[in-house]
Amino acid sequence: MAKRLVIVGAGDGGVMLANRLASKGFDITVIDKSNKHYFQPWLLHIAFNGAKEKSIEQTKLLPKNSRFMLDTVKLVDLENRKIVLSNSEMDYDYVVVDTGSFGDYSKIPGHMQLYQEFGDFHSTTEAAQRLWKKASTFAGGKAIIGSTYPIFKCPPSPLEAAFLFEELTRKRHVRSQTQITFITPFPRAYPAEPMNEIVEPIMKERGINIVTFFDVESIDPAKHTITSLEGDTLQYDFAALVPPHVGAGIVKDFCDENGFVKTDKETLQIGNFDDAYCIGDATNISTSKSGVTAHLESKIVAQRLLGIDARFDGRTNCPMEVGGHKATFVIGSYTQPVVKLKPSTFNYFLKMGMKYGAWQTLRTKMDFVMDWYFARTDPAKLNAKLNKQKSS
Amino acid sequence: MAKKVIDSRGSACPGPITDLALAYRNASIGDEIELWSTDPGVKEDAKAWAQRTGNVIESITELPDKIVVLIKIVKK
Repeated sequence: MAKRLVIVGAGDGGVMLANRLASKGFDITVIDKSNKHYFQPWLLHIAFNGAKEKSIEQTKLLPKNSRFMLDTVKLVDLENRKIVLSNSEMDYDYVVVDTGSFGDYSKIPGHMQLYQEFGDFHSTTEAAQRLWKKASTFAGGKAIIGSTYPIFKCPPSPLEAAFLFEELTRKRHVRSQTQITFITPFPRAYPAEPMNEIVEPIMKERGINIVTFFDVESIDPAKHTITSLEGDTLQYDFAALVPPHVGAGIVKDFCDENGFVKTDKETLQIGNFDDAYCIGDATNISTSKSGVTAHLESKIVAQRLLGIDARFDGRTNCPMEVGGHKATFVIGSYTQPVVKLKPSTFNYFLKMGMKYGAWQTLRTKMDFVMDWYFARTDPAKLNAKLNKQKSS
Repeated sequence: MAKKVIDSRGSACPGPITDLALAYRNASIGDEIELWSTDPGVKEDAKAWAQRTGNVIESITELPDKIVVLIKIVKK
């Protein structure tokens, strides 16, 4: 009998895993509470360029011989190999958790009201449209952009928001009346030093103030102020903030205090279970919460479920736009520091190309291109090349 | 008062300072945080962080497989 594989959550990683194992003899069930799959990087462009939503039905991404269940998973019980759904329970032979990460607007007092007023570029299409409405009618004043908390999805996104907003104020001829402040809980604009050396000068050149060590403690929506744990208070007329992110917290006994699943950073197994894995944003692994990470992790788990001892090397490859149709990529791994990669127009088109190639990538039809790309941009090779250039 | 070990080994992006900032948020005055990292940048980052937040670095020890930064939370 075919082994029953249940994938909890149809995020990028879950969809890719189902496609990778479609013809490998598994009986695959994918469960998600929504039948809509969003191209999440596009929220940034909805919020700062007024772009249209990009989404597709999950069933159009999943392999035909898999089963899609529209349901809410309440609990995954690894000890008893049981999944508790809204009105039923099911068993499995293998389970892969891909439940993602979400903005938690209750962690910071006043944040929910700010979110209702300004929206953001990290949650829903409606929230991104709300932000676009504010951004596209902003008449000048104090704008605050950044992350509120150390854990969030897509580390480059707050900087991208600052660059795109700055560009928008120039296009709308309100730049001279606008003061843009970038806040971060980290010691510099981008936490990984080599990438910061690239982006901080660009921020300064564009006149974006950087306030470091600003870990948001509370927001006063009536007074329009944001206060940090470190004791500073900033005034805002416009705010685009990334919320604190948490996990779904549904894996019994194996979640940390933020609801992320305790996952082995190399094997991606949950605890010591050899029939349970976690991929994507849902893990507690100290790496970027991004689609690329989920993509690479889905390859590792697919191989492991086929009996191959594959291990995740922590590779990241996050695109970062800096405005003016230029972008860089944050490329690193567990053993390689982030590459000091300069922004280029070529990288911008690679990033934008993902908008068109996203669904085919999720169907794993683009693997031949992606594998070639990942090999070509191996961080060890890129760092060696840069070091050679530096010394010559 | 509690001591918490934060294992950030292998984390270069977003980096060990992410884990430190998070631990600080959840810590109480008097707690100790032991941060493990393989990123040499952690030494300067932890010092800058301690200076900014008014907390104390008790020691920085370089071991063959990791750098251990011991921090005492005295201010929040």
